[in-house]
Amino acid sequence: MSPQILLLLSVVGAEPVRPVDFDTEVVPVLTKAGCNAGSCHGAAAGRGGFHLSLFGSDAAADREAIVEELEGRRTNLARPSESLVLTKPTGILKHGGGERLDMDGEGAKRLLDWITLGASRSAKPRRLTSFEIQPGNTIVKKLGDEVALVATARFDDGPAENVTAWTVFTSTDTSAVEVTGNGKATIRRRGQHVVIARFLDRVVPIRLTLPFADMAIDLAKEPRANFIDNEILKTLEVLSIPVSSRADDAAFLRRIRLDLTGRLPTPEEVTLFLKDSSNEKRTKRIDELLASGEFVEYWTFKLANLVRNRPQPAEVEGMRAFHGWLRDSLKNSTPFDKFARDALTALGDSHTDGAAYFSRLSGDARSQAEHVSEVFLGVRLQCANCHNHPLDRWSQDDYHGLAAIFAKLERGRVVKVGIRGAITNPRSGDPAVPRIPGTKFLDASGDGRPAFAAWLTAADNPFFARAIVNRLWKAMFGTGMVEPVDDLRETNPATHPELLGRLAADFVKHGFNIRHTLRLISASNAYGRSADSLPANKDDERFYSHANRRPLDAAVLADALADVTGIADKFGEEPAGTRAISLINPLTPSRTLDVLGRCSRQASCESGAMNGGVAAMLHRLNGELINRKIESKEGRLHRMIAAGKSTEEILAEFYIRALGRSLTDAELQYWKSHAEKVKNEDRTTFLEDSVWGILNSREFWSNH
Amino acid sequence: MIQSSVLSRRTFVRAGSLVALGLSLQNRVQAQGKSKAKSCILIWLDGGPSHLETFDLKPDAPAEVRGPFEAIQTKVTGTHICELLPNTAKIADKIALVRSMTSPLGEHGLANHYLLTGYKPSPVLQYPSLGSVVTEVRGGTQTLPPYTAIPDASTYMGAGYLGQARQPFALGGDPAKPDFKVRDLDFYPGVTSGRLERRREFVGQLDRFHEKGDSAMISDRAFEQAFRMVTSPEAKHAFDLNDEKPATRGNYGPRTVGQSCLLARRLVERGVSFVTVNNPGWDTHGDLVLRLKEGYAGAKVGEGLIPTFDLAFAALVSDLSDRGMLDETLVIAMGEFGRTPKVNTQKGRDHWPRAFSVALAGGGIRGGQVIGASDRVGESPADRPVTPGDLAATIFTILGLKPSHELHTSDGRPVAVNQGGEVIKELLA
Repeated sequence: MSPQILLLLSVVGAEPVRPVDFDTEVVPVLTKAGCNAGSCHGAAAGRGGFHLSLFGSDAAADREAIVEELEGRRTNLARPSESLVLTKPTGILKHGGGERLDMDGEGAKRLLDWITLGASRSAKPRRLTSFEIQPGNTIVKKLGDEVALVATARFDDGPAENVTAWTVFTSTDTSAVEVTGNGKATIRRRGQHVVIARFLDRVVPIRLTLPFADMAIDLAKEPRANFIDNEILKTLEVLSIPVSSRADDAAFLRRIRLDLTGRLPTPEEVTLFLKDSSNEKRTKRIDELLASGEFVEYWTFKLANLVRNRPQPAEVEGMRAFHGWLRDSLKNSTPFDKFARDALTALGDSHTDGAAYFSRLSGDARSQAEHVSEVFLGVRLQCANCHNHPLDRWSQDDYHGLAAIFAKLERGRVVKVGIRGAITNPRSGDPAVPRIPGTKFLDASGDGRPAFAAWLTAADNPFFARAIVNRLWKAMFGTGMVEPVDDLRETNPATHPELLGRLAADFVKHGFNIRHTLRLISASNAYGRSADSLPANKDDERFYSHANRRPLDAAVLADALADVTGIADKFGEEPAGTRAISLINPLTPSRTLDVLGRCSRQASCESGAMNGGVAAMLHRLNGELINRKIESKEGRLHRMIAAGKSTEEILAEFYIRALGRSLTDAELQYWKSHAEKVKNEDRTTFLEDSVWGILNSREFWSNH
Repeated sequence: MIQSSVLSRRTFVRAGSLVALGLSLQNRVQAQGKSKAKSCILIWLDGGPSHLETFDLKPDAPAEVRGPFEAIQTKVTGTHICELLPNTAKIADKIALVRSMTSPLGEHGLANHYLLTGYKPSPVLQYPSLGSVVTEVRGGTQTLPPYTAIPDASTYMGAGYLGQARQPFALGGDPAKPDFKVRDLDFYPGVTSGRLERRREFVGQLDRFHEKGDSAMISDRAFEQAFRMVTSPEAKHAFDLNDEKPATRGNYGPRTVGQSCLLARRLVERGVSFVTVNNPGWDTHGDLVLRLKEGYAGAKVGEGLIPTFDLAFAALVSDLSDRGMLDETLVIAMGEFGRTPKVNTQKGRDHWPRAFSVALAGGGIRGGQVIGASDRVGESPADRPVTPGDLAATIFTILGLKPSHELHTSDGRPVAVNQGGEVIKELLA
């Protein structure tokens, strides 16, 4: 035993002193006190010349900084209690970060003990083998209820320890849940909330739920079409949210038509569907739509939005070839794992081999790492550029290592792997070693992309299937189970984690087949629910007690307006009759699409565009978009007037085309009473204004 | 929510009434207090303007920090700013500089959000921008959109949980262009105001048939606002820059930033509460001289970001002052962070949020002062650190809002307009 320990023993008494383990006993003190947070010493550039790894991810470097740096001025082995690393946070000396440790507290004592015992770090530090929070996900009964969270850690050298005092608890929504430093969580609002517990490298979400109503509801009698309904109804029961009724046939048809093919149903389709009395007519329609060319056309557009296909400066051929490749993938039902592997590893002339163009959508290796992780992993890796990702498991090695995988690519017209090309890892200053994020390093001399692609699309990869399934879900429901859809992480849990897992596993099991999962979703009763809400579920936007009303995509809206009015738009130099969703170049000149707020694909298309608002309204009132189409002599309205159709016939036609239904009695009454007052010579302007009203109604402009 | 309040978010009153019931009433403030500032013009320097090349020069720092420009004396003895800001220097007595701004967020998106809302981004809630908050609290039904963005608005200038109604009205055109006009303000040929009124009634009725008390995708307010603008001759006139004397237009400089500031002044004169002038390009990772001074290679007279900003900013403050409007109009010039003290290998600077500067004028603030300081090399605040939360709290206070004032999200949750920010008392007169 060292002299210091003997001294300590003689001072302290007969208490046996185990050496203080730096990695697992000192670092948590620093994390709990906030020393290594991103706003303090954990910042990429440190603070006051003192840099610690963010949240203690690099214990070796941290010990070095504390003990060795600056000739060891921060640690006083001769007089441990005078160490700067103690006197500053305890407020004895002036400290920019204020008082972070109580002088008499356990944290200061541990630091002191550690320094007293030599401020060493074991060659084989203790390892954390498990970390658990009890209770797990909990349902409380009323506002103000408290849940006492207890953190238990198991190390490789001993029994379980209560580490609640060293666990950092954060509420993702402090107005909903307040949580103290020792794990006492108080629920302040109804709903499903998350507390994050962080200890060493573990980050654990705990779901705390307070149902929306005190009275339990029983949804056992609700019909279920498949496991999606089971999971959704289970959650709604827990939350005490009642469900709305089934959407009527007209509403369902319009919705499924828009979601699967991006267009409105024709009058013939509506009439046939409403007349059909068979029980399976909805699933039959779903299958027909999934097998249609219109599905391919629309979902090519959606896929192009996802990967952000766009032209190079002064070059469109690659973009066109890539679009063709996307379309073929959908037409041929290419399994999505193969699609991803092909996109990631393709080489060759991007003008003819469309898949190779994928790599040209990023200007350099780092942007490609970010692009790939956003699109295929559903993860925002960017934070890990400058430091280990604070909210997730990604390290700088992961970020720069992924970038290194793409570093040798030459992204000219012909995409090929060059000999040179390295990414500097800013942490080490050396070339980053290619690395499959979170997994393993690769051989720097080869092409790491196939290995990465294989890892990404393996059946047990926890990200790939969940990310794509979540996006499919969002496309059909308007909101993902994880939001934002490119921010999947432990600390951003899904609203229905079990359902997301099952849906992902099912997707994998069925050959990563997009149509399969879309069919499953479309056939669920959850998807087929009415958008009409009940008083008790009207505020629900995440739990699918009723269908969500969603805005239409700019391209879909443009096409819908053209279809209803019979006047198509001209998009740049494209041939007349080209639909907006078929446009390959997201920058095709089009005032219509600009006004409607299209995504230019410069950035992710998921975030809400700055559309709508007053500027769009002005254009709808006074601009060409709708006015020109209504008043055109070649348009549907004027042709019907010229053909001598009655007011009732004309309105009925526009209702069924724009809204997918016939007028209600109240509406018939309303229009009749107005039409009666109109003089003959004013009939045309009256009809123009009525149609304008229909085409500016919320019912037309939304998917519901 | 089961415990539904009487003023549920879903109740709307249309046709005739221009004030929607519901949360908007909860958000209205009874009395505005004795604030002098009626309006705010925010010149947003997008990309993160280097503090070391604008308002916080370090002529005594080592060469690798100093940068390519010299410091000049301003009208306020002892205060120096960049030589490329001579016009601003002449009116420094009207300007307050905060040199100790500090933030931990060095990524554009996160930092934009922080500066423009006063809140760090959160996955739980979309916070509204300063302009959205101000117009939400003030309410009112003017002809011109109370929150306007020239020439366009970035994502972070949006309305967050306040919804479509509080999005800024983005003009969409460049005021510096000779053919500039706000589109679609004139009636569509053949559609008279009477027909427009009828159309408005039809849409309203159709929505009522459909609504059954459920949420709106497109706010009534946007519709009503557009309708008011279109039927008002003053609205068109407000956007007509030819109404200004050529000399005035010349003072602001011929570029977008200048003419946008001029337009902002016109709008504020006519009662617009919050105008954002978007001035992009400040993300100078390379070529400081080319981008900040010259503007293009070989330029004889500097036409880069700083000279054009200098003309615009100084002209705006002077113009407001000449017209007796300065006390009522708060002018802010800021970006999302500063830039690295050490010039990099591309002769530029990278992101640096730990210390940066903000310039303010008008709104009754005390000009001619410098608040806070950065250290010898502009790396950290040496004194009086100010967070974007503090700044937001101060801006709200100057504009007559209490930072603790609570707004409500669509499901009734109260959210304070600012959390934890300390008002910069030195700014208030």
